[in-house]
Amino acid sequence: MDATVGTTVPRVAREERGPIVYRHTVTTRLTHWLSALALVILVASGLQIFNAAPYLDASDKTDPARRVLQIGAGTDASGGATGTTVIFGHTFRTTHLLGYTDNGMGEQSQRAFPAWLTLPGYQDLADGRRWHLFFAWIFTLCGVAYIVAGVLRKDLADLVLRPSDLPKLWPMQAYYLRLRSEPPAHGKYNPLQKMAYTLVLFVFSPLIVLSGLALSPGIDAIAGPLTTAFGGRQFARLWHFVFMVALLGFFGVHLVLVASTGVLNNLRSMILGTYRVGKHEGTGP
Amino acid sequence: MRRRLFIATSLSALAGCGVGNKLNDAATSSGFKNVLESAEALNHLVIGTRGRAKLYAPGDVDRDFRTNGFDTPSDATYRGIVADGYSSYRLVVDGEAERKQAFTLAELRAMQSLTQITRHDCVEGWSAIGEWGGVPLHELLAVVRPTARARYVIFHSMDRSPDGDPYYESLDMHEAAHPQTLLALDLNGRPLDPDHGAPVRLRVPTQLGYKSAKWVNRIQLAASFAGIGDGKGGYWEDQGYEWYAGI
Repeated sequence: MDATVGTTVPRVAREERGPIVYRHTVTTRLTHWLSALALVILVASGLQIFNAAPYLDASDKTDPARRVLQIGAGTDASGGATGTTVIFGHTFRTTHLLGYTDNGMGEQSQRAFPAWLTLPGYQDLADGRRWHLFFAWIFTLCGVAYIVAGVLRKDLADLVLRPSDLPKLWPMQAYYLRLRSEPPAHGKYNPLQKMAYTLVLFVFSPLIVLSGLALSPGIDAIAGPLTTAFGGRQFARLWHFVFMVALLGFFGVHLVLVASTGVLNNLRSMILGTYRVGKHEGTGP
Repeated sequence: MRRRLFIATSLSALAGCGVGNKLNDAATSSGFKNVLESAEALNHLVIGTRGRAKLYAPGDVDRDFRTNGFDTPSDATYRGIVADGYSSYRLVVDGEAERKQAFTLAELRAMQSLTQITRHDCVEGWSAIGEWGGVPLHELLAVVRPTARARYVIFHSMDRSPDGDPYYESLDMHEAAHPQTLLALDLNGRPLDPDHGAPVRLRVPTQLGYKSAKWVNRIQLAASFAGIGDGKGGYWEDQGYEWYAGI
């Protein structure tokens, strides 16, 4: 199974087929897949909720003068239906993609995000909220469990970005871009991995939960400074959307790296826990 | 445009169009519905009713306050009450109360004691700020004296949904006793207009807007929701929305 097959194996292949190590604990694997599932459901149900008021204002109360994003429908010169997306006052024609889209009932109609991106597909704010408010708990509890388990195992610190990592960020990026032949020296995780994990675990995930809480009137009543810190209710709604985009950005890069650094080996490590050390060591997802 | 429709259709096929619908239908028609709905009790437990809604300054008020829910009821009874300047209006308080009675608008005006500028947060996502004046609900309840059996305060509206279902909402006794829970008579210094719930509406600033029933003409104190609507405590609750609307 491992690299002790014999001297006839070419040197390169021996390097690629290193020993199998136990990489991810059961807690890590469970919280990883549960929060991945929760993230997908939260995004889809969140877009369903967004569709009920398809605009975002940088203000406390609704204020069109401070509108950052608006997705709507209209008609063009020939009377055809159009979908428009207005970002910071710049209008983009997004017919069939945003604003005038698939409504989940087999037709195109005025609808910000199309049915194939929302949960449920058809317009149903009540059900969308049920999904969202349940999986928000799953996402939050997974994050807490992951961090607590990491602290108890004493290895959470391995993935936290430190000031000493900062000068290595560009060399690492250069290595990914094949501008450098060797990655900079690093520990269990490389500096870019540490930056990504630190942002996701300690910045964007907590902030997306807090901004979601901040736009609830009951939370505003017991923790008013939280809503104020985000700039008010509508602003919290805007931040909540921005943090979603940030998490989706991480998710996209993560998937590319899973696919490009040994997809089966990566999947095995996150399902069974075992990982074969090889040429992708330290450059993974 | 045609090309974009093609792209959208392809993406939709790629994303497995109909997955969202099928998943939702499967979940909400099975026991998983109860799992999803379990978050409501948890949220109610964690958030509770102990907070106070933020109070705003007169300069924050939306002079043209957005109408939530339905517009003015179209039925003849309501039209008649509006036409006679609300002199035939009565707020009936009944059910589990020691002193059941009917209040005229003038009697409610005499009890008016609270004005507060609070934000109305709609479940759809928008917010508007208004100055609400009226009778704190707990003061009205002190007059009618709920019995020991009373667990809920149910607000019946003079409105009906497009399907003809009566509109109603409810609070538990804790929420009803909240000092900011208001039977509003005024919005922005003027008596409520029909679109905003005239002559009496509920205002619960610590919960989403659908809790704040408009055109209230009957307050029923009850031990349970049994036999009222579909038994979930409100018109929107019967449509699947959470009874606890604090989040």
